[in-house]
Amino acid sequence: MLDLVTTISLFLMFLLAVLYVRGCERLRGTR
Amino acid sequence: MSLNGWLQIVCFIAVILLLATPVGRYMAAVFERRKTFLDPVLLPCERLLYRLTGINPEQEMRWTEYAICMLVFSAATLVLTYLIERLQQFLPLNPQHFSAIEPALALNTAISFTTNTNWQSYVPEATMSYLTQMLGLATHNFWSAAVGMAMAVAFIRGIARREVKTLGNFWADLTRATLWVLLPLSIVLSLALVSQGVVQNFRAYDTVKLVQPQKVTGTDGKQTIVTTQTIAQGPVASQEAIKMLGTNGGGFFNTNSAHPFENPTPLSNFLEMIAIFIIPAGLAITLGRMTGSPRHGWAVLSAMVVLWFAGTAVCYWAESQPNPLLHGVDQHISATQAGGNMEGKEVRFGIANSALFATVTTDASCGAVNAMHDSFMPLGGIVPMVNILLGEIVFGGVGAGLYGMLVFVVLSVFIAGLMVGRTPEYLGKKIEAFDVQMSMLYLLIFPLLILCFTAVAVVMPNVGLGSLANHGPHGLSEILYAYTSATGNNGSAFAGLNANTHWYNYSLGVAMFFGRFMMAIPMLAIAGNLAGKKIVPESAGTFPVTTPLFTVLLTSVILIVGALTFFPALSLGPILEHLLLRSGAAF
Repeated sequence: MLDLVTTISLFLMFLLAVLYVRGCERLRGTR
Repeated sequence: MSLNGWLQIVCFIAVILLLATPVGRYMAAVFERRKTFLDPVLLPCERLLYRLTGINPEQEMRWTEYAICMLVFSAATLVLTYLIERLQQFLPLNPQHFSAIEPALALNTAISFTTNTNWQSYVPEATMSYLTQMLGLATHNFWSAAVGMAMAVAFIRGIARREVKTLGNFWADLTRATLWVLLPLSIVLSLALVSQGVVQNFRAYDTVKLVQPQKVTGTDGKQTIVTTQTIAQGPVASQEAIKMLGTNGGGFFNTNSAHPFENPTPLSNFLEMIAIFIIPAGLAITLGRMTGSPRHGWAVLSAMVVLWFAGTAVCYWAESQPNPLLHGVDQHISATQAGGNMEGKEVRFGIANSALFATVTTDASCGAVNAMHDSFMPLGGIVPMVNILLGEIVFGGVGAGLYGMLVFVVLSVFIAGLMVGRTPEYLGKKIEAFDVQMSMLYLLIFPLLILCFTAVAVVMPNVGLGSLANHGPHGLSEILYAYTSATGNNGSAFAGLNANTHWYNYSLGVAMFFGRFMMAIPMLAIAGNLAGKKIVPESAGTFPVTTPLFTVLLTSVILIVGALTFFPALSLGPILEHLLLRSGAAF
């Protein structure tokens, strides 16, 4: 069970990092 | 302090400065795909790897693609390590029959090694099988260092290129960093360490009879007579070399480089310290070569040396002071006394080499230790902490140190521009709003993670404070150091804190993850933005980044930003402890 929670948490953390990349790029575009 | 100690310190930095140029030039050739003496051996290996993985090394990437590839690679290797840890009891090379690592610790360790932190909430020789140490952890020592180097090179290209949108190919940079730089140096250093007595085998641990049986009191208060000792061993030398060269720091043994099988002699100690600094120092020269401004590389390296010297001098001085609470004990330097605080230090290294190692390991994001930082005098212990709090840009981690320093360079140039009322320029590139926004994002995430997690931990009596072995300002230092080390991806521990709890395993894991990726991404964004800019011709109003004045400005900006951010927390921890120690209080 904990392994599943860990896997989902990791997925969400990396997804957040990818969204962060997109966010930074969007900020550049609105300059 | 002694002349002998200072001579060893001077000898250390002299060797680093001598090696920086050839190593830096070599790395510039590697990343610019010019000819090197290792090409006949390594080019076929590189081609084979690309053919097997279907990678086209000529395909250029924008900064967003570069960042996503970095994240995908990190995610895949993180999951691989997590699985190895969870399944180690079913896998080979486990002569001690260690069971699976529990999920919280496995996650913490997987994040730790993926992010080049190598924080260890466990006792390696009593937890990890040989396969886990090699396939799960030592491989990350190569990969995480190579990822750092790739990102630093991407940043350099961002500065050097003009009016393009791309920064190179992540997979090619990763492969070349591993094959051309990390592997050859690791092989040479491993052999040198073996010559000094570092062990390298796959044997099960030996059990030996003690010459003098020992009376030991257990945690339950019961006394037992111990007649045997288990001697842990394994493939140590191969892991030790990359642990230092990749500024990883995760020891094969719990006591890390204080253990005689990891670091047996003063010469092995010297080689290990050289190994920590050699690539970061070389990368400053690589910066100069690849941007066409070698003097700029030296100016950046000079700022690193100034900050390194300040830290070493303070730490060595503080550790050479007698402990005022030890009344009636001879603590003056003589043929039979080291002359200062020897608690937590190895006699074979002494005070100078322990203070130097502590400074070097925290200037870089290494985190290996040859002495216990928790046992340092308060002002000695503040040096490793401040080094990490400055962002580990004093030489810094492999790659991560240079790109951290370059963010400070962007900020310094911006401040210089504000002072003279001109648009700031950095090597011909105008520094504009987006570059400064990303620099500030980089700089603010770091203290946000450290201070928020520390604040949360100290207000939770059971989960946060319950892990402490010491209270008062020293306890605060232990918690602050843990989050500083995790967020800075250093990995050294102040000790005195049981971090193998659910709270610390998860919260430190989150700090390590965001400390790595949320800082690397704005840095790549700056690089991508710089690459697309025109080169502005130098004029009388351009602030030169090759002069001693620039080095002074850069050093000042680093110190002022660090001091403004962390002085309140430090004053409640080690500074208060120092003042209370003078009045006779210990924690």
